[in-house]
This record gives sequence, C-alpha cells and structure tokens, in this order.
Amino acid sequence: MLTLAIALSASACSGTNGGGDAKDGKVTLRWSTWGSAEDMAVFKAFTDEFTKKHPNITLKLEPVASYEDYHPKLLTQLTSRTAPDVFYVGDDYIGKLVADGVLAPLDEQLAGPDSKSRPADFFEGIYGGAKKSGVTYGVPNDTNPEVLWFDKKALAEAGITEDPAALNEAGRWTMATYLEMNAKLKAADKYGSIFWNWYGANYSLVNGFGGKVWENGKYVATTDPKSRQALKVLADGYRDKTFASADLLPEGNSASTQFIKHKAGFYAGGRWVVETIRKGGDLPNYDIVPFPSESGQPVQGAVAASYLTLNKDGKHKKEAFTFLTEFVSKEGQQLRLKGGSAVPSVKGAESLVTGDGYPAHAQTFLDVRDKGFANFPDEVAVPGLTKAVNDHLMKIWEGKLGFDEGMTQLQTLVDGMKGRQS
Amino acid sequence: MSAVAEAPARERSRPVERVREPRWRRRDRWWGAVFLAPQLLGLLVFLVGPLGFAVVLSFMRWDGLGDATWVGLENFRTQLTDPYFGRAVWNTVKIGLITVPGGLVLALLLALALHGVRGRTAYRVIYFLPVVTSSVAVSVIWQMILGGGTDGILNGTVQELFGVTLPSWLEDPTWVVPAIAVVTVWSSLGLNVVIFLAGLATIPPSLLEAARIDGAGPWQLLRSVILPMLSPTVFFTLVVSVISSFQAFDLIYVLVNPDHNEGAQTIVYKVYQQGFREFQFGLSSAAALILLLLTLAVTAVQFKAQKRFVHYES
Repeated sequence: MLTLAIALSASACSGTNGGGDAKDGKVTLRWSTWGSAEDMAVFKAFTDEFTKKHPNITLKLEPVASYEDYHPKLLTQLTSRTAPDVFYVGDDYIGKLVADGVLAPLDEQLAGPDSKSRPADFFEGIYGGAKKSGVTYGVPNDTNPEVLWFDKKALAEAGITEDPAALNEAGRWTMATYLEMNAKLKAADKYGSIFWNWYGANYSLVNGFGGKVWENGKYVATTDPKSRQALKVLADGYRDKTFASADLLPEGNSASTQFIKHKAGFYAGGRWVVETIRKGGDLPNYDIVPFPSESGQPVQGAVAASYLTLNKDGKHKKEAFTFLTEFVSKEGQQLRLKGGSAVPSVKGAESLVTGDGYPAHAQTFLDVRDKGFANFPDEVAVPGLTKAVNDHLMKIWEGKLGFDEGMTQLQTLVDGMKGRQS
Repeated sequence: MSAVAEAPARERSRPVERVREPRWRRRDRWWGAVFLAPQLLGLLVFLVGPLGFAVVLSFMRWDGLGDATWVGLENFRTQLTDPYFGRAVWNTVKIGLITVPGGLVLALLLALALHGVRGRTAYRVIYFLPVVTSSVAVSVIWQMILGGGTDGILNGTVQELFGVTLPSWLEDPTWVVPAIAVVTVWSSLGLNVVIFLAGLATIPPSLLEAARIDGAGPWQLLRSVILPMLSPTVFFTLVVSVISSFQAFDLIYVLVNPDHNEGAQTIVYKVYQQGFREFQFGLSSAAALILLLLTLAVTAVQFKAQKRFVHYES
C-alpha cells in the first residue's frame, strides 16, 4: 500500500503538467513570470483575449512577486521536472538555461505556418544569451532601452544652453560635451547624472568611451584601457558627487524625486521614467538622448530584456508554442504594452512608443533598441555573475574600495565565478 | 580458583531459558513499528537522504541541471579562502554572540518576574505571540519600525520629538547586526520565557523555603538555589538558541534583504545564494557542511562545559 502511495505521488510529481490532458482535447497550460500585482493585471487582458480565441486552452499563471526569488524557484522546478510549460527567463539567467539544455529550440516553429512571431521580426542584438550557435531558445517579451533623460530646466540653471538631443541629431553628442555638462551641473550644486548600478548604465558608458566588456570569452572591462577609463570616470564622479547612485539615495529623496525637483541634469533610465515625470507634472521640460560617444556618432546602448521560453520537457508543446507566439507577437505586445512603460521587442508595434509624441525624441528608444545590446552571452552564461559584478562595482562607487584594487579584485571575482562554472 | 570466583562462571555457563513473549506484547511491538514507520520513512527521505546527498555534492561541481563532476576538496578550499564567506561566518557568529546571551538573560529575568504572579497565563500568551507569528509578518512589522530616514516609525518619531537623526538601522552595515539581534531576541523571547517558567515550576518550594529560613536574600536565593536548579533548562535553551541563531534565514532575508547589505549576509544566506541564485550546488553544499561542523563544534563545547555548571540532582 505504502509502495503504491509512493509510486502514485512520484508519478504525480513527475512531468510538467498540472493536469489537463483530458480526452476532450482541453489542456491546462502552466506559465510563470515575476512581477507585482499591477504587472499581473496587465496579463489579464491578454489571457482573456487568448482564452476567447483558444477555448481548448486554460492558462494557469504561476507568478512570483520578486525577481530575486523567481529564478531560484524556476531552477528547483526544472531540477525536479515540475517546471511550467512556458516561462519567463531574465536576461541574466537565460545563458545558463540555454547551456544546460532545458529549453526547447524554437527556430523551426517560429518559422513555421503557425508562427505569429517570425525570427526576423525581432532585432538581433536583443536576443543576447537567448541564442546559441545560431539556435533560438527564447523570444524577447518586450524591452527597455537605456537612455539619458535630461531636464532642460536643470541644464539651463547650470548655464548650459545647448540641447543634448539637438547635439545628437547634429552628430555632436560627444562624451567630452556630456562630461562638461555634468561638471557645470555640479558647479551649480546639482547632480550631473543619476545612474542605477546595473549593466545597462555601466556598460553603456563603457561603450560610449569605445571600450569593451567581453572579448573572446574573457572579461576585459578591467583591462581594456578605454573601459577602464570609463569606469574610472564613474568612480571619480560618484566620489566627487558629480554622479549620484540611485541605489544609494534614501527612499524619501529618491532618484525620481531628485529628477522631478530639478536637482539633477541627467537620469539614466528606460521608458518607465515617463511615469516618474508624469507624477512631477512638468512633461515638456524633459526629453531623451542616447548615451554619448567619443566621436559623436551613435554607439550601441544597453537594452534590458526578458525572454519567453518553452520547457523542453513540457507535455503540451503545440499549445505552449501557440501561447508563446501570440504573447510575443505584434498583436500580443500591443495588447500587453498599451499604456505601459516598456518598448515592444517586435517590429511593427512602434506606434506604442511614438504614438503620443512623448517625449519629443521618443524615436531614440527605438533607435537604441534596434542597434542596442542585451547583456553579454558570456556574462549571462554564469548565473549570479552580473549581480556579483554590480555588487563589487558598488563598493568602488561608494569608495569602500580603491579603484585599482577594486579592478584587480573584480577580475579575480569574474574569473573565479566563470572558472567554477566551466 | 576459589569457589566464590567460580560461582559467576557457573552462572554464565547455565543455558538461558527462552521465555516466550506473550502474544499481546508481540502484537504491540508490531503495531509500534507500523506507527513509527511513517516517521522513520520521513526521517530517511527528508533528513538522512538529503544530508547524505549534500555530503556527496560538497565534493562535486553541479549546477542542478547538467552533469556533476567530482572535484574533491576544491569546494571547501574555495569557501575557506573566500573573504566573502569568511565575512558570512563572522556575521553568523556575531548575531549568535548578541542574540543568545541577550535573549536568554532577558527571558530569564522575565520568567523570574512572572513566576508566581497572578494571571501569568495571560502574560505567557502575550510573550508567546511573536513565536507563533509568521517570521515574514514579524520582519515586515519591524521594517516599518526600523526603516531608515524619517520613513521608519522609530527614526521618524525621534526626529520629530528630539530633532535627533538616528542611523539607518537596516541599511547601515555597522548597525544591521544589532538591529537583527533586537528583532530575533524579540521574536524568540516568548519561547524561552515559557521554557524558563516550566523550569522554575520544577523547583521544590520546600527548597526555597528552607533557604529563606536559613536567611538567604533574593540574590543568594537566585545564585545558590534557583540558578543551579534551573541549570538543565538553561543548558537546553542555550543549545537550542545557538543552533537556531546559526540557522536564522527567513527573518533576516525579509527584514534586511542581505542582497543589498553585506553586513547581514550569513552562512545560510550564502548557502541559498550560491545554490539557488548562482547554480553552484557543490559550493553551496560545502557551505552547509561547514555550518553543520561549526554547529557541532559549538554544541560539543557546550556539552563539555555543561559538566561545570549543570546540576541534574534534585
């Protein structure tokens, strides 16, 4: 009896379905993502629409509130073969899951007759670690390109007369001009720029200086002279308060508050900053510009992305793909992102960003997305590496570690973590 | 050989007479085994099995999904030479050093104050409430109290009343351990108070009465009668408190979020981080084993030391 009970419970735990392989053709499709209650509400409209179109598929969403806790849960589910049929993967974990072979390859289905999201509908750079050896394992759900928001009033108060967006259009948006503006802002008792400490801001600046982060599978941000120069500028800027770290500002005086109170000239962020500015109410005062370059010509900027993937061991492969392709399709993104703060990852849904004409240079979001880069495949192949790099850089930004010593330790840290994975 | 010396030998050589056990007793034994089986099975499946698996994993490199590779002692070497892990060990010890003595002394004082007081059941319930409250709820409440800036109830009130700016308890690496200790002591106080009250109830009143008749004052009563009689209880709570302080995770994880504060990163946090965030189960298992060895070592020292201060005679 006991053996039978164990056998039954074992069979119940195996596989991936939470039920629903009924003879009437109805299936229950489990899918998971992270996000707040507001995020989940966004998916409701899509779910309702999808269920209308596919009455044989019942969608069962299994959300996790915090991003930090989402991947540990997913890993446990994958290890115990109880993972959902379809799931989100963050850009810092996708590389590892691809390498471990737990995701279904998608190219054949994406190019097939049932596809509503063909591979060519997405921009190559934002696949990041979701592609390996030319095979696609995940499709970007949507994106958030990292740009520099600027406050015209703060710039004017600091005696800056030139408009960064106009300089960019004229091909004169250089790193030297940007740093000069930051110095003037600081002299006017304001922050030059506010950055969140993440790869998007840090590596965009490295790119702006013409530096490299990864080369031939090796982390070179600490050794490449231009990358090092970029990181040194950041470290010095944090130390002399030309820059502020959004992560360290107190809740009551956060980056958003500083920016809408005209206490900073630039604020590095994505389209989500629109919400912040709306709260301040001074919409015409703000605009966006890409990260500058040494020459004034556009360089690649970072693009935050997440990916929708299929469980290789999922039972309802056909239905799972139907969900995936509709979710990331143009229509799916139009439904999900309407009135939201993300930028579509698919071609053809640009009006979501440019439709309301805000900010004036909203096209910059799309330009950065089209030519930008998701986190580096070499970096995302090591789970936790991006976070470890960010944590380490934070010690340098805070002045807890000297720059040279910090760079040496960072290289050791990256080599160590990468070595332990190989 | 004398007859006296030979006698036991003769006894030993006598064949043992097999007494057949009564049927009811054999049946009871069988049913005992049946009732114990689920518990034993659970113990094997959920404790012994995973422990053995963790020991094996600590000598391997495994990401939870791919193939595992035997790496010998490399994981232990990595942990023991990693300054971040060293800091986690120190943080764990620091939290224990504050919470264990602080918690026990406070619990003992409260138990002494409550012993014999009318309506102590009500107090017992009040003090015990945090123990049965979810650690997540406890953490969220204390986050509201100890929050930084003027957002926290404590800091906001002090700033408002006295114009004094207090530290950001949960964000400042210097203050985070004391903050964790306060919350831990608060949340575990009730359990220790109840155990001490139970211990106090076992002290024979006649003993206390005799000491009083002999002229013992409150301090002498405490030092010479109550504490020696209570020493097995003190020893028990000491061992349990040290183990639970070493294993603390959920309360700290929610209260402080060690991701953003190195001062709150403990060994158990490292086990979680390296295993489930970085997919390094070998390294994570090595950290768990180091914690186990540390706990065993401290417990062994406590057992050794108990001979000096624990009195079991009534």
